[in-house]
Amino acid sequence: MAPQTPAVVMDNGTGYTKLGFAGNDAPSFVFPTAIASKGPAAGGAGSGSGRPAVANKPSFLTGGAGPGGHLSGKRGTEDLDFFIGDEALAAASGPGYGVHYPIRHGQIENWDHMERFWSNSIFKYLRVEPEDHYFLLTEPPLNPPENRENTAEIMFESFNCAGLYIAVQAVLALAASWTSSKVQDRSLTGTVIDSGEGVTHVIPVAEGYVIGSSIKSVPIAGRDITYFVQSLLRDRGEPDSSLKTAEKIKEEFCYVSSDIVKEFTRYDKEPERFEKYNVKQPGGREVTVDVGYERFLAPEIFFNPEIYSSDFLTPLPNIVDTVIQTSPIDVRRGLYKNIVLSGGSTLYKDFGRRLQRDIRHLVDERIKASELRSGGAKSGGLEVQVISYKKQRQRHGPWFGGSLLGQTPEFRSYCHTKAEYDEIGPSIVRRFALLGGPGQ
Amino acid sequence: MLLLDYQNVLIETLLRDRAAPASIDQVVSDFDGVTFHISTQESKSKIQVSISVKCFSELVQYGAEEVLQREYGPYIVAPEQGYDFSVQVDLDQLPEDQESRDDLIRRISLLKRNAMAAPFESAFTEHAALATEASKYTSESAPQGVREGGAVRAIHYRDEEAIFIKASHDRVTVIFSTVFREETDRVFGKVFLQEFVDARRRAIQNAPQVLFKSEPPLELEGIPGVRKGEEKGEMGYITFVLFPRHLTPQRREEVISHIQTFRDYFHYHIKASKAYIHSRMRRRTADFLQVLRRARPENEEKERKTASGRTFRVQ
Repeated sequence: MAPQTPAVVMDNGTGYTKLGFAGNDAPSFVFPTAIASKGPAAGGAGSGSGRPAVANKPSFLTGGAGPGGHLSGKRGTEDLDFFIGDEALAAASGPGYGVHYPIRHGQIENWDHMERFWSNSIFKYLRVEPEDHYFLLTEPPLNPPENRENTAEIMFESFNCAGLYIAVQAVLALAASWTSSKVQDRSLTGTVIDSGEGVTHVIPVAEGYVIGSSIKSVPIAGRDITYFVQSLLRDRGEPDSSLKTAEKIKEEFCYVSSDIVKEFTRYDKEPERFEKYNVKQPGGREVTVDVGYERFLAPEIFFNPEIYSSDFLTPLPNIVDTVIQTSPIDVRRGLYKNIVLSGGSTLYKDFGRRLQRDIRHLVDERIKASELRSGGAKSGGLEVQVISYKKQRQRHGPWFGGSLLGQTPEFRSYCHTKAEYDEIGPSIVRRFALLGGPGQ
Repeated sequence: MLLLDYQNVLIETLLRDRAAPASIDQVVSDFDGVTFHISTQESKSKIQVSISVKCFSELVQYGAEEVLQREYGPYIVAPEQGYDFSVQVDLDQLPEDQESRDDLIRRISLLKRNAMAAPFESAFTEHAALATEASKYTSESAPQGVREGGAVRAIHYRDEEAIFIKASHDRVTVIFSTVFREETDRVFGKVFLQEFVDARRRAIQNAPQVLFKSEPPLELEGIPGVRKGEEKGEMGYITFVLFPRHLTPQRREEVISHIQTFRDYFHYHIKASKAYIHSRMRRRTADFLQVLRRARPENEEKERKTASGRTFRVQ
C-alpha cells in the first residue's frame, strides 16, 4: 500500500458535513448532512422509510414462508437511488423523494442513512478507495461509546477502511488554534466555544479530555441571529426581508461593538456607517435594502440576550465563566488562558475581543471581592485570553484541526487499523490514544 | 447512484462555481492512487491542476502524451515538481460562450480519465489496423502476426493490480487482475461477477463477454509480473472481450470511460451491497426486539403460599 495517501477527514455535523483530505487548508466539500431517498414513509413501513422492506413478522412466525413480498424486487437497485448534500435538497423539492437528516443534535440517529451517506461521500465526492486511506472522523462531546462502535463497524466492515481515528470535535478545534500566533505552547487544555447554525456549546477540555459535567450550551446561534436581523428588517418595512437577505446581511455587514450606546450615537453622527445592500429578487427585480443598527445589534444577542429572547437571559461571557468555575480547580487557569473560538457564528469582527473583555471583567470583579474578604491578601492576577485565528480555518475549526493532525507522520500510529479491528472487535474504538497530546 | 462519475467532482465544482477569485491550494486524491494538486500559484485567477499517476511512465509509453496534447493542447504547462502532468487555466480568459466553457471544465475534470485512456485508444487503433489487415486473408492463410494480435499492454495502476489490454483483429481483450484481502469481499465479488457473466446470457445480448477466473488467462502467458492464482484465491482475473461493435468511433469514448472505472465500480457495489445487507440486519434486529418486548410477561397476580400451606394475598 502506498504510504503517501493523505488521510481522509470527515466532520459530520448536524447541519453541515465537511469532507476533505488532511494537509489542506479548507475542506474540499461542505454540504448539508442530508440524504434524499425515494418515497417518504411510503408503503406503511413507518419510520423505516428508505430501509428495505422486510416482512412484518420474522420468517419463523409466518411458517417459513419468509418475507415473500419483496422477493420479486430483489433484483432492484432501489437502495442506490438516493442523493446526499445539496443534491438531496434539490431532489427533495421535486416529487418522489423525501429528505432525511441522519444526524440530530450532533449524534447519528439513523445508521442506515448514515451508512449510505458515507458511501456516497467516499465514492462520489471524495473519490477514494477506502481500503487505501486512513480516516479521521469526528464526534460530539458525550457521544456514547455504542455510537463509536457502530461507526467503527460501518467503517471497517462495510468500507474496509485501512485505519480509523475518531476524535472529539472540541479537541480538534483546540488543535486548530495552534496555528494562531497567540498560542505559544501547544496544549490541549482550553475552553472551546463552538457556535454553528443551531446551537452554541461551551466545552472545557483538560489535557485533551472533555470535562463532560461542565459543558453548557446556549440556545442562541447563527440561525437566531438571522431571525433577529430579519425581524429588524421587517420592523423597518424594508422592501425585501427574506431569510436569505437577512443571512447575507448578517454575513457581510455584522460586527461586534464594544458598547451599544456609544455605537448608537456614533451611527447618528456618522451617517456613512449605514450601508446599502442590493438584492436581486427572483423576478429579476432589484431592490436596495438599508442596513443600519443591525450591523452591531445582531451579534449583540450573544452578550445581551434579552434584546432577542425572553426565556434565555444569560450572556455568553457569564456562561463561559460558569463553565470554567464548575471545572476542577487545577485546570481553571489553563481554561481561562486558552478560550478558543470555532464555528461560523464566531467570525464577527471583534467577537473575540469583546468576549475577552467581558470575561476579564467578571474575573477581575471576583478577584477583587475575594481580596476584600480575605482582608489584605493580594492575588497574582489571572490571565484571560480568547484565541481567534484565520477566518477560513475558524469557520471549520474541527475539520481544520483534523486536517492538521491527520497530516502528521505520527497520525497513523494513533489509528486503529483494520487488522486490529478484526482481532479485537468493535470495542477497540472505545479507546484512542490521544492525538497530539502530551509526550510528543 | 448506479454508475460512478468519470470526472472529478471537486475540480468540476471548483472551476464552475468560481465567482470571486481566491487562492486555493489543495491536494486531493482520486481512485487508484491518483493525486491532484489544485493551486493558484502566479495569480488568483490562474488555476493550475497537476496530476500524479502511479503508472505514468507506462502510460507515456502507450501514447499518453499525444492524448493529453489533443485534449488540453494550449493549456498544458510544464509539469509541477513531484507531479506528472499539469494544466493551467486562466479564469479571466475563459471562452466566452457558455457551451465551450462547460466543455473546457468538463475536459479538465476528466484529467484522470484522459490520462488513463491512452493505452485503450492505442489498442483500439491497433485493432482497427489489424482488422483491415485481416480482411485481406481467410482465417487459415493469415500470417501469424495477424492471427495472434498485437502485444499485451500492461498498466500497473495499483500496487498489486493491473490492467492488460490486447488487441487482435476481431476483438480487444481487457483483463483486470484483482486482489481481495477480505473474505467477505471475495464472496460478494464472486456473486457480483457471476451476474456480469450471466448478464449476457440472460438479457443483454450485445454486452461484452465477461469471463472470471482465478488463473491467469492464456492471453497473459509469458507476461512478466503476472501472479498465478494462489491457494487462498485472493487473486482473480476478469476478462472483458470487446467486439467490433463496441469499438466503433462513436462508442469508443464511452467504452473507455466505462471500462476504466470498472474496478472502482465493482468495489463500490460490493460496499453498497454490504450497506444494504446491514440495513436489513438492523431492521430485522429491530423486529426481533419488538417480538421480545411483546413476549414479556405481564405482572400477573400469583397465589403465594406459606410453608404450612396457607395462602395469602399480596396487598
